[in-house]
Amino acid sequence: MSGRVIVITSGKGGVGKTTASANLGVALAGTGASVALVDMDIGLRNLDILMGLENRVVYNLVDVIEERCKLRQALVKDKRLPNLSLLPAAQTRDKSAVSADQMKVLCKDLSNIFEFVLVDSPAGIEQGFQNAVAGAHEAIVVCTPEMSSVRDADRIIGLLEARKDEIEQYRLVVNRYRPNMVQANDMMSVEDVLEILSVELLGVVPEDEEIIISTNKGEPVSGTDNCKSGLAYRNIARRLRGEDVPIMDFSSQNQTWINRIVNFFSPVRV
Amino acid sequence: MQVLTDLFARFRPNTVRTTAKDRMRSMLTYDRLELPAGRLECLEEELMAVVSRYFELDKSTTQFDLQQYDRRAALVANFPLLRSKC
Repeated sequence: MSGRVIVITSGKGGVGKTTASANLGVALAGTGASVALVDMDIGLRNLDILMGLENRVVYNLVDVIEERCKLRQALVKDKRLPNLSLLPAAQTRDKSAVSADQMKVLCKDLSNIFEFVLVDSPAGIEQGFQNAVAGAHEAIVVCTPEMSSVRDADRIIGLLEARKDEIEQYRLVVNRYRPNMVQANDMMSVEDVLEILSVELLGVVPEDEEIIISTNKGEPVSGTDNCKSGLAYRNIARRLRGEDVPIMDFSSQNQTWINRIVNFFSPVRV
Repeated sequence: MQVLTDLFARFRPNTVRTTAKDRMRSMLTYDRLELPAGRLECLEEELMAVVSRYFELDKSTTQFDLQQYDRRAALVANFPLLRSKC
């Protein structure tokens, strides 16, 4: 088997890479696929917390690379989904503990076991990022509709373009979207961001307090029903599997068609 | 719909959203070309000086800026000519 290796990256920190990784891991596994989540943020491990697996980490990615354990020994199985595993980052080392070539070998080995290998990249464009992309064939660029995040996403897209031989496809996830602020013309819309970046859209995840609650519980939202961000992640997972799932229509929420027309012509909030 | 939105945007006062979009677009044009501030103005002056050797220019209506096409930039210059100098 040769699974798909997908890196989740953003340039800027704090836009939701790790949250997206955890949720897409759970959502993809929920569709029946076998999934490995790889935390590449060496020295700043967090994916284990979001997955609620922090107490089960014995070995880590650096242990595998330095051959202190077998790959399968370092993989931590998810509590609920038997087809989902986490390869945790080392917490006491730094980005220089791994080389790009070693990452390529590791991703290859993982893709022989799993249908999806999701690599959670650290923030920045330095070696940590370079290592995270090294073994990937696809990329998901996460950004929020804020200027600093879009600028950093553009930089990342430039770097992915330069690796066209290895990264066959990259798509954008717009995270923490606030439809009400867009309707009030106080924030860039998804269309604005796509036009500026000239990139294909993979999904839109609305701002949702449930994300904070789910992080505190260690249970990603995509595993629970009745929450809009969870549904957005499950939709993204289905799109990753090739299904044609329409993007949620946020503009129609709480709006009659009269409101829409008035809003269309009006610069002030309605 | 996008066409209509763009059309009506011309008659609509600036919003925070359009400000952000415009700033973003110009910032990324400079970022992608690694173009330092002031460099474009420098080029405009030099080009204008060369063209002025051949033509009298209507300097009040010249246009000189960068536009984006997908992820590529293009230099768009418009120097209205009054008459030839030679």
